Amino acid sequence: MSDNEPENEEIRSDGAGIVAPDDETPTWSERKARKTGLSRLTYEYFERARREDQDLRTESDYVERDVLAFPTWPHETVRNLSIASFFVGMILFLSATMPPHIGNPANPSTTPAVILPDWYLYWSFGLLKLGPLNPEIAILGDQMLMADRTYGVLANGVVVGFIAIVPFLNKGSARRPVEQPFWSAVGVFGVVFALTISLLAIKNLMPMNVDLLFDLTFLLPFVFGTITYAVLKTMREGYMYNLNRRYYRLRPPR
Amino acid sequence: MSLERKDDYDHKAWMKKKDLTPVEATFLTTLIWLDKRLRIVDYLELLETLYYRVNLQMPKSHTEQYNLDNKFWYWYPLYTLGLFSTLAYVVAAISGALLGFYYSPATTGDPTTAYNSIEFIMRDLQFGFMLRSVHRWAAQVMVAAVFLHMLRVYFTGSYKEPRELNWLLGIVLISLTMVFGYTGYLLPWDQLAFWAGQIGVEMALSVPLAGEWVAQLLFGGFSLGQSTLQRMYIIHVFLLPFVVTTLIAIHIGIVWVQGIAEPH
Repeated sequence: MSDNEPENEEIRSDGAGIVAPDDETPTWSERKARKTGLSRLTYEYFERARREDQDLRTESDYVERDVLAFPTWPHETVRNLSIASFFVGMILFLSATMPPHIGNPANPSTTPAVILPDWYLYWSFGLLKLGPLNPEIAILGDQMLMADRTYGVLANGVVVGFIAIVPFLNKGSARRPVEQPFWSAVGVFGVVFALTISLLAIKNLMPMNVDLLFDLTFLLPFVFGTITYAVLKTMREGYMYNLNRRYYRLRPPR
Repeated sequence: MSLERKDDYDHKAWMKKKDLTPVEATFLTTLIWLDKRLRIVDYLELLETLYYRVNLQMPKSHTEQYNLDNKFWYWYPLYTLGLFSTLAYVVAAISGALLGFYYSPATTGDPTTAYNSIEFIMRDLQFGFMLRSVHRWAAQVMVAAVFLHMLRVYFTGSYKEPRELNWLLGIVLISLTMVFGYTGYLLPWDQLAFWAGQIGVEMALSVPLAGEWVAQLLFGGFSLGQSTLQRMYIIHVFLLPFVVTTLIAIHIGIVWVQGIAEPH
């Protein structure tokens, strides 16, 4: 930036240099025209203060967009507000009807029979109980490569890591479950596994054989995943058939 | 000819000519005074231009944009789970700030001060029982909503191409939500909290290589005590609120910029 810039480049004082003007942004005077009272006065002053170039304003090619839109006010706002108050009301209703209670004070010398985190951490807690799956390496003389607990903690990382790389594994434009049976099956597998591993976490509260529970924990996700895959695959045949039929109706094959 | 320097634009003369009411005259004088010093006009125009840009850029809600009103409303509850979790977060923040006035994270005494303050909140504090209940339920609802939100995004394939980063950010957010829940779970310092904390320390110690360091950092030692509670408290009320609020803002900002994944 030098002091001797070309003189023909006018110093623009209309504020249009801040953001590039385009045909969608209303001009200064158009904004002014919408105001009354003090804000109107404000605009009048600003206009003067900026030595507004009236010609530029009147020559502006801004056109009011003529789109049939869903108005933000009141329609969208009222919709959002009603949903928001419904949700908050739901939280208040829950807390009024089912308030939490507090247990005995902490006592490091007595371990309670049941130790549990909140329900949403059951899956993580359940992963700590995967000891039986911890591989024993024969070369190391049937020693485990890592402690059961380390194994469980690492399992957390594996689960989260897998979820994280899903977008990089599953590419393409398919969106609906029908369009991607395999990945939907993976999803169902994940949900069912989250449920069963949570149940495994509370195995001492479950009224069933622990070994059976352990087996079901890993069996059920596969069962549900397979069923999902089969169902969606079958549905996709029909889905594709309908798509094709419509396509051929539009352009009949020669 | 007067020696007094005159503006090209003589605002005083202009004001006289306008025949203003006292209110208007005062307002205008103040405005001119401030604007000469602070150039309010620049900032105002910037804001206004933003306002118009935003409103012109998204004239239609996404349902109209894709003409989905008839088929989409059935699924609307699934598409509003993000809003729901944000709302629950706000409710939890407000009730948590109120609870913070009465809670003190100290393990002194028997039962501990922390436990006593919870008891005080539940028994003696006007509306305290409800307050704690609201905070807890807001947290539970938030976790549930975030989880369902993730499922919705997964099963509608909304994490695909331009949105991978937001998916990753979402995973960070759901993890931090759980950390939020965990640290909050420990604060009452009752039996459940203590032994959940014990498991936490053991898990931290089980992390290969960095285990002891992690346990020191998060729990302030290898056995539970004052420093554990203190750290949980600071993580819960100071660290996480800033981090999670910022990340939520970025998360929603990215959704805004990229647009909502075309619903089917």
